[in-house]
Amino acid sequence: MSFSDLLLQQTINGLSLGAMYALLALGFTLVYGILELINFAHFNVFMVGSFIGMWTLQLMGINGQSIVMTGLPLIVTMVLSGALGVLIERVSLRPLRDVKGPAAMITTIGVSYVLFNIILLTVGADSKNYPNPLPPVQWDIGDAVLRLREVLIWVIAVLLMLGLHFFVQRSKMGKAMRATAQDPEAARMMGVEVDRVIVIAFFLGSALAGAGGLIFGLYYNFTSFIIGFTAGLRAFTAAVLGGIGNVPGAMLGGVIIGLIEAMGGQFIATAWTDVIIFSILVLVLVFRPAGLLGRVAPNKS
Amino acid sequence: MKSRLITRRHTISLASGVAATALFGAHTARSADKSVTVGINLSLTGADAESAKRIEDGAIMAFDEANATGGINGYKIVVTPYDDGSATAGQYDPAQAATNARKMVSNKATVAAIGPQMSGAGKAMAPILSEGNLAIITPSSTNPDITDPKFAAQYRPEGKAIYFRTVATDAFQGPYMANYYADVLHVKTVYILDDSGAYGVGLADAFQGQAEKKGIKILGRDRLDPKAADYTAVLTKIKSLNPDAIYYGGVLQAGVKLAKQAYDIVPKMIKGGGDGVQGPEMLTAVGYPANEGWYATVASPHVTEDAKMADWVKTYKAKFNVDPDDYAVTAYDAATVILAALKQVTSNGKEPTRDAVRDAIQAVKVNTLQGPVSFDANGDLQDKTISVFQIKQDKSIPADDMRQYHYIGIAPSA
Repeated sequence: MSFSDLLLQQTINGLSLGAMYALLALGFTLVYGILELINFAHFNVFMVGSFIGMWTLQLMGINGQSIVMTGLPLIVTMVLSGALGVLIERVSLRPLRDVKGPAAMITTIGVSYVLFNIILLTVGADSKNYPNPLPPVQWDIGDAVLRLREVLIWVIAVLLMLGLHFFVQRSKMGKAMRATAQDPEAARMMGVEVDRVIVIAFFLGSALAGAGGLIFGLYYNFTSFIIGFTAGLRAFTAAVLGGIGNVPGAMLGGVIIGLIEAMGGQFIATAWTDVIIFSILVLVLVFRPAGLLGRVAPNKS
Repeated sequence: MKSRLITRRHTISLASGVAATALFGAHTARSADKSVTVGINLSLTGADAESAKRIEDGAIMAFDEANATGGINGYKIVVTPYDDGSATAGQYDPAQAATNARKMVSNKATVAAIGPQMSGAGKAMAPILSEGNLAIITPSSTNPDITDPKFAAQYRPEGKAIYFRTVATDAFQGPYMANYYADVLHVKTVYILDDSGAYGVGLADAFQGQAEKKGIKILGRDRLDPKAADYTAVLTKIKSLNPDAIYYGGVLQAGVKLAKQAYDIVPKMIKGGGDGVQGPEMLTAVGYPANEGWYATVASPHVTEDAKMADWVKTYKAKFNVDPDDYAVTAYDAATVILAALKQVTSNGKEPTRDAVRDAIQAVKVNTLQGPVSFDANGDLQDKTISVFQIKQDKSIPADDMRQYHYIGIAPSA
C-alpha cells in the first residue's frame, strides 16, 4: 500500500466518521442556538435512534435491499427519533423553561441516563448484530477502497445538512427559529410561537440524531447501549469546535474531528486519539473562544 | 415483589438442601462412623449459574463415585455447597465469597474445598482460607495474581500455598499462543492490540514478550478504547504494514467491533486472542462470516470431545442431563485430587486434618481426566495446557452454539 493510497484511505475513513459526528453535532447546535441549553440527552437519543433503525430494518425484512435504497427506513427512524426528542422536551424540559441556572442541563443528563438504562435493561448489555442490507458494492482506487456505504453516508449527511441549512435560512419557521435564538421575548411579542419553535428544534435535532444512529448501525454493522457516550462527546466537541449555535460550524467541526481521529490513529496511535482531539479543542477555544465559525453573540436586550 | 419471590424460593431450596444434608449425614453416621466434609463454592446465582452447575456436577460426580465404593479408607465424603453469587450483583459477589470462606473455615469438619469459579471471588477468599490453612482447588479461575509469589503477602499471608488450580492461568495463554503463532502458523510478523483493560493488557504483554523471544517481528502495538466504535484507522494502518497476523488481548466489548471491521479491511489476515474472544457474542453479534478464522484459547485441556472420554461424558450426561464442558472436567479433576490426597493421608492411619490434607494436595501426583496433575510450590499446575480453538461455521449446529469454536489442538509450551 503506497503512502498516497494510505492517506486517501484514511481520508475516506475520517470523512465517514466526520459525517456522522456532524449529523450529531447539528442537534446540539440547533438546541443550543435557541435555548442556550446543552442537551446531553442527545447522546442517547442517537443511541436509541440506532436501535429504532435496527428494529425498523428487521420489521421490513433485512433482505430488503430495495427497501433500504428508497430511504423509507431512514424516514421512519427519523420521525420516531424526532418524536422521542419532542417527548423529552415536553415532559422534562418545558416545566423547567423559566427556571434559571443549570437545572435544565442537569435534567438532560438525567434523561440521558434514563434512556441508557432503559435500553440496557430491556435489550441487554451485549452488542447487537445490525442487519446489513446494503449491496456490497465497492470501488478500488489504487490500494484504497471506497465502499457504497461510505458514499451513502456522505450523500445522506450532506443532503440532510443542506436541507437543514435551507430550512433555517429560507423557511418561515426557520426565520422564527432565528428570531427566537436572537431574543425569545421580542420574538414572542412579534407573534412567534416560541414553544412551537422549540419543539420543532428538538424534533429536527433528534431526527438528525436518529439518522446518525441508523447510519452508524449500517456503517459499523453493530449497535449497543453504550455507543452514545463516545460518539456524543466527540460530536459535542465538534459543535463547540465549529462554534456552537452555528449550523455550518457544526459540519466543519464534525469533519475536522473525524479526520483527526483517522490521521491520529495512523500517524500517532489510537490510544492517543482523545488526547489529540481534546487538546485541539482547548487550543481553539483559547484563541477563538466562540469556535472556528462562531461569532460572539450579539447582546440580548 | 419479584425480589421477594426469589428470596422465598431461595429459602426453600436452602431449606431442602439443609434437610438433604441432614438426611445424608444421618445415613453416613449409620453405615460408616467416619466422614469428612468438602466445601464447594461457586457462583450459583446470576450470569454464571449455568456454568457453575456444570462445575458442581463434575465435582459431585467424583465424590459420589468414591462414596459408592465405600468412601476413602472408610471415610465418606460429605459435600457442602456454598453460593457466592447474589441477585443484586447479578454474578459473583466478593463479599459473599469472603463470608463463605469464613463459614468453611469455621466448620471444623471441612478438610478441603473446591472453587471458586471466578477470580474475583478467589481474591476475596484466598487470604481467609490461608489463615484457616484450608486448601481449595479451583477448576476455572485463571487470574495469575492469586498464586503469584509476588502477591503472596496479600493472598496467602500464612505462607503456604492453599489456592491450587486444575487450570492454567492467563500468564500462559499469551505466551503459548505466541508459540502457536510461530511454530504452527509460521507467523513472521504480527501487530498486537489490546483493549486497555487489566486482563487484555496483561495478556497482550505476555504474548508480546514470548513472540519476541520466538523471533516474531512486532510491527506495532496499539490500544483500543473499548467504548469507541471506530477502529478503521488502526486497521487501515495494519493493512498498510501488512503483518502476517493480528493478536488481540482483550474481551468482547472491543472485540466484537474489531472482528467486524477487521473482516472488512484485512479479511485474510490471521487473527487470534485469548479466552476473552471465546464467547457467544463472537458468534451472535459479530456473525458469520466475519468471525470465521478467529483463533481463541482456553486455559485447560479440551477433552470432552476426546474419544477416550466418551464413557465419562455419557455417564455425566446420564446423571445430570446436560453436556459437560471443559470446566466440568477440571472440577472432576479437582475432586480427584482431593480424593487422592485423602487416600494418601488416611492410608497411614492418620487423621485427615486440614494440615495433612493440604500437605498431601501439595505433594499429589495423580492421573486425572486431563492427564497427570501435580502442583508447584505456588499451587499452579506443573503441566499447563492451553487449548486452541478456531471459529468455523458448522451449518448442522445452531449458529450461536459454542461448538462453532472448533478444537484445533494444544498450543506448544516452548
